Amino acid sequence: MASRPPDVDKETQAYLPDFCAAGAIFVVVLVSALIAIVLTLASHTTPGTFLTELAKMSLFILWLGLLGAAILCQIRPWVEKFGQTQAFVIAFVLLELLSLVLAEIAFQLTGIFGEAVIINDTHSGFILRTFAISSIIIALAMRYLYISSEWRRSIVLEAQARISALQALIRPHFLFNSMNTIASLTRSDPTRAEEAIEDLADLFRANLGAQKNRTTLKDELEIAAIYQRIEKLRLGERLNVRWNIGDLPMRALMPSLTIQPLLENAIYHGIELLPEGGDVTVTGVRNDKNLEIEMRNPVAADRSGKKVGNQMALANIRQRFELAYGGKATVSVKQTDDEFRVKLCFPYDEHLV
Amino acid sequence: MRILIVDDEGPARERLCRLLADSDEHEVVGEAGNGAQALKIAAKSAPDVVLLDIRMPGMNGIETAHHFNAFESPPAIIFTTAYDEYAVEAFDVGAVGYVLKPVRRKRLDRALEQAARLSNITLSAVAKRSGISDRRKHICARTHGDIRVILVRDVFYFQADQKYVRVHHRNGEDLIDDSLNYLEQEFADDFVRIHRSVLVAVQHIAALKKTTDGRDLVTLRDGSQDEDSGLIISRRHVADVRRRIKGQ
Repeated sequence: MASRPPDVDKETQAYLPDFCAAGAIFVVVLVSALIAIVLTLASHTTPGTFLTELAKMSLFILWLGLLGAAILCQIRPWVEKFGQTQAFVIAFVLLELLSLVLAEIAFQLTGIFGEAVIINDTHSGFILRTFAISSIIIALAMRYLYISSEWRRSIVLEAQARISALQALIRPHFLFNSMNTIASLTRSDPTRAEEAIEDLADLFRANLGAQKNRTTLKDELEIAAIYQRIEKLRLGERLNVRWNIGDLPMRALMPSLTIQPLLENAIYHGIELLPEGGDVTVTGVRNDKNLEIEMRNPVAADRSGKKVGNQMALANIRQRFELAYGGKATVSVKQTDDEFRVKLCFPYDEHLV
Repeated sequence: MRILIVDDEGPARERLCRLLADSDEHEVVGEAGNGAQALKIAAKSAPDVVLLDIRMPGMNGIETAHHFNAFESPPAIIFTTAYDEYAVEAFDVGAVGYVLKPVRRKRLDRALEQAARLSNITLSAVAKRSGISDRRKHICARTHGDIRVILVRDVFYFQADQKYVRVHHRNGEDLIDDSLNYLEQEFADDFVRIHRSVLVAVQHIAALKKTTDGRDLVTLRDGSQDEDSGLIISRRHVADVRRRIKGQ
């Protein structure tokens, strides 16, 4: 829990590839040439003129490709700010406009060169054809870029989630404090010391195994209950946890290590700093398709101005919910002068995906 | 040595007690669950050493140590904590030792030996030199053998009163030793000087008023004053007070 997650490489998180890079430009040139060949082959009718036709076609498409790359290279930082879909729509519209402008310029230029028939079509016919072909090709290109960006992002997200799960490992302070408590109990109350060691072992086993899977609500609550038992030894009367979770289906699946870290937060930032302690309240509600779990804890008044709660743990849970459910789950936080609330809302699901 | 144990966790206190019970040299003179309680007990039982937890509700260990340093003959302070990240702050407040939890007998003994070697004179000197990086959240008023702990946010205003400063707060009035200039520096963010001898908590100011003879007054939100009376703002502080209240 000590360090922040490493900043994700900006390049892997960007939606559009970097068209300023030499590699990308090479690909643009190559693809333009291939498209020119395909189009020329398809339309080739008069024998002996294939190379001239190809030259004309390549000239036009290369101009389009390179200018397009130059524009995307320039607007990329700006366009990325709008979000994924918007970025692709803006890029599509700009490229489409560019192709129309270029088509118009090409048509006007043929007028200047006079007699030689360069474009064998009417003005509107040429513009329309260009528009149709470029729409299809640009749309295909955008679709390809979109999918590959999605793929890159999902790899990064998954890696992040793994790191996060590792970082979600229990605070070292908790370990040392618990050990101190156990050391104290070994003589005064050996039975409880024994139980505490068993609990601690279970807790760590769950923590160490948690990186891979989703778990059932039942197991998740069990871990939280074990954690609560250990903290109760240390804090005694100051800690009370109320579980209003009768409504929840115990078979429901959820990302592992979510409730226990929230309870840990509630104790570490809330209960522990209150001289009289307080109640942590966990409320579970089942809606149609969603489960809602809310955790509330009192906070000391002199901390009200500050950000209470371990932002790390919350960011971490958010990330893993995002990975597991996409946009269908929310992790929301509410903070007042004397209370901290966090609410998880996620789809009810009994089967592993 | 006479030892005071301060920790908010019962089992942690119990363990220290037991570690100390085996030796003849040491005697536990008290146990406290938080900083304020510790100061009260110490004022009566005058321990030589305080074993002090750092992360505690209310007044934390670092601030408690700072208040101990203001004692006439301050006790030696040994921090016992699960956190090693407080070490720098701990030595800033003049701690003699820093023992990590779970506490080992050997480390505790070594720290206590260290404390025994320091004479009272050295401890006083260390205490005087020590500073605190954070603002205090509490103020201690000492009256022969007793200590009153006052939350800074409960303070309405400080008023210089001959050698002492009188603290007017939610639960009454107390005298403290700190100088008004020192308090003004430490609490610059929350308090404003309205007079040579008065420092007022900005959050408790209700309004500024003018008397019929043209003097400026501050009235406080606590209602302890009558409607018409208030604290007089000296002429040279008026502009500053206005600015601070607007900034609220």
